Amino acid sequence: MTDTSATPQKAHAIISKRFKVSGILIILGLAVEGLTLLWSHPLSFVAFLGLGGLLLAAGIALYLWTLVSHAS
Amino acid sequence: MPSVAVLVLAGITVVLIVLLIVRPEITLARGGKIVAFLGLFIFPVFTGILGFESHVERSKQTSFCLSCHVMGDYGKSLYTDNPSYIPAAHFQNNRVPREEACYTCHTDYTLYTGGIKAKIRGLHHLYAQYIGTPHQPIKLYTPYNNRECLHCHLGSRKFEEGAVHTADPQIMADIKSNKISCTSSGCHDTVHNISQIDHVKYWKPQQ
Repeated sequence: MTDTSATPQKAHAIISKRFKVSGILIILGLAVEGLTLLWSHPLSFVAFLGLGGLLLAAGIALYLWTLVSHAS
Repeated sequence: MPSVAVLVLAGITVVLIVLLIVRPEITLARGGKIVAFLGLFIFPVFTGILGFESHVERSKQTSFCLSCHVMGDYGKSLYTDNPSYIPAAHFQNNRVPREEACYTCHTDYTLYTGGIKAKIRGLHHLYAQYIGTPHQPIKLYTPYNNRECLHCHLGSRKFEEGAVHTADPQIMADIKSNKISCTSSGCHDTVHNISQIDHVKYWKPQQ
């Protein structure tokens, strides 16, 4: 939910929380991608893209959405 | 091993993200906003791209292709102790890099590179391997294209001056235009020959 009417402190708290979630998703994505790189197998690519890529994309999307929704 | 660049970039990304989680107030300042942009967007994107590139490179490895059970006999055929077996002769004499033997001769047969069709085929292979049942024996989707041979042999003396190749000018033209297959009967027609895989002698490479 976008809450542009919140006070600056409240808005920053919301942004920080979303950045935190975004960061955790990205770290998890990177961890999965790093693990798949240790294994040379077709399934490791599926895990890289299907799980690692998804977590990474979700984290990045959440970060960008937070930026856009609080641009004002 | 994954490339050093991927690991370094992933490490920097994690450090930046941990910094943002531990000290969220830094994003109030301009510098903190830049750190967030780098750690939550730029570096993860580049790490993902480099990781993907690393996977693509590894997918060219012979061991990658042979990790599927259905490919086992094809890998075994590379060690056939018979020079008439074209893949074996190429593999054993380093005419193709051993660590990328399959990919060198089957460049159009891959999951990550090539067209959309090749990717869909690659996904179908995964499905057949782990969920469905692979066709036995497996077959190429299209007849083997001379282009893959000519990629290396075109212009080489042995190919250009070969007695059979030059017996008639039309033969050479037909080979180059893929009208006559290199693997035609009577030519280089012993390829993997999987049906005979248990009845041949094997070469043991010296360690």
